[in-house]
Amino acid sequence: MSGYQLALQQLTDSALPTGAFAHSLGFETYVDAGVVADEASFGVWLGAFVSQQLTYSDGLAIRFLYEGADVGELDSLLSASLLPRQVREASVKMGLRLLEIGAEVFPSPALGLYRDLVGDGRAAGHQPLAFAVVARSLDVPLQEALAAYLFATVTSLTQNAVRAIPLGQNAGQRVLRAAHDDVAAAIDTIAHLTPDDLGAVSPGLEISQMRHERQRARMFMS
Amino acid sequence: MGELELRVALRGQRSVATYQYHRGALRVLRPHYLDDSGQVCYVVVNPGGAYLGADLFVIDVEVGEGADLLLTTQSATKIYRTPGSFAEQRMVVRLGEAARLEFMPDQLIAYREASYRQRTSVTLRPSSSLVMAEVVTPGWSPDGSAFQYREVRLRNEIRVESDGGTHLLALDNLLIRPPLHDVTGLGFMEGHSHLGSLVVVDARVDQALADDLHGLTAGREALTGISLARPVAGTSGLVLRSLSNSTDELNRLLRSCTDFLRSRWYGQGPLDLRKH
Repeated sequence: MSGYQLALQQLTDSALPTGAFAHSLGFETYVDAGVVADEASFGVWLGAFVSQQLTYSDGLAIRFLYEGADVGELDSLLSASLLPRQVREASVKMGLRLLEIGAEVFPSPALGLYRDLVGDGRAAGHQPLAFAVVARSLDVPLQEALAAYLFATVTSLTQNAVRAIPLGQNAGQRVLRAAHDDVAAAIDTIAHLTPDDLGAVSPGLEISQMRHERQRARMFMS
Repeated sequence: MGELELRVALRGQRSVATYQYHRGALRVLRPHYLDDSGQVCYVVVNPGGAYLGADLFVIDVEVGEGADLLLTTQSATKIYRTPGSFAEQRMVVRLGEAARLEFMPDQLIAYREASYRQRTSVTLRPSSSLVMAEVVTPGWSPDGSAFQYREVRLRNEIRVESDGGTHLLALDNLLIRPPLHDVTGLGFMEGHSHLGSLVVVDARVDQALADDLHGLTAGREALTGISLARPVAGTSGLVLRSLSNSTDELNRLLRSCTDFLRSRWYGQGPLDLRKH
């Protein structure tokens, strides 16, 4: 067993108290509009979300951090490129929790540095960067870190969909199994992107995340 | 290829160009004043009529302290086939203290097998005011189908320069690649063909203003979202994104928002370009 295996499982467990249960990251807008209403339509949304947002924002930020990019610079790029306010706030809310948990259980100089930047107001504290800093300090290889992060996000979103749509528990598991291919494709894409690609979004996902602010009855904060 | 440089400064009550340079297939028409606000209007002309493969267009605009520029285009920007390469526009904008830029180009039309990259980099002061509107439409292809272009990338970087240094306020990075994905579908274009986008950066931007603008978009045949960017150095921004099947509908929607801002912030009437 590699030295980081249990640490990585703890970090990506859906019971990790970062508050992921409170965020739909835009799918609730589609649920409200009746566009996402079952296993198949949620799978379509999830595929788009993984291939776009998780690839071009979270995943690419994790790769650049692993390649030595400045964490403060990446933090600023994420704050500026996550234009839908709720999604930006979700990334920071979950990121701050992860920084706190990381300091308790996986402290490292790199994590201390990122926490100092956040403490001074020089960084916001985004979830993918907090995860990447901790994973890198534990010597988790990039590919494994990406797979773990992307699949953990997919898992919490699917659990949220199971509650919200609602879907059956077995349907949720089928969605997760089908998302393996999306995650594998995303990891492949992330390896080939350039700095110009960071934060690139497709308009539909972004508009739904913006429209969530104005939805009347909401189960989720984003 | 084309290159354009324009510097505008305040002289008395009016904004005037203090420097102009052009080379290749870009130039500006003589300036005009659409009202008595002192705002100078320049119209960018591309006599070549279109952007082709490996074409590079560079636009450099500076609006000095207190000056006010309305920049528009004479006609739609058309991107034709760019086999094996892409057409590119790079625009650099600097806004001084209390300077204002209203950038209202005609729509971008991307035709079959077109790849286009547009990068606009704006550096402004906390007291500056920026409004940029944009509409992207697919060109009509011989078989009557839309979305035959290869890739459109629109990247706006907005930085705020203050005594505390220069900080990124918004990185607005849109990527549309029709052939790679089911671009018309869920998460991408949501069954629409046209995209409209509006960026506003001004210290007066707040949630109440976003709500007012959202109210103006109600009733349009378009799917619209609007959200506030993070505030930086005492100024703030918002981005509006809209999908529709009609250039006119998007232009009306964006124009209702920009006219609202003209009236509320400057006491100006609705924009009437009359296309000199």
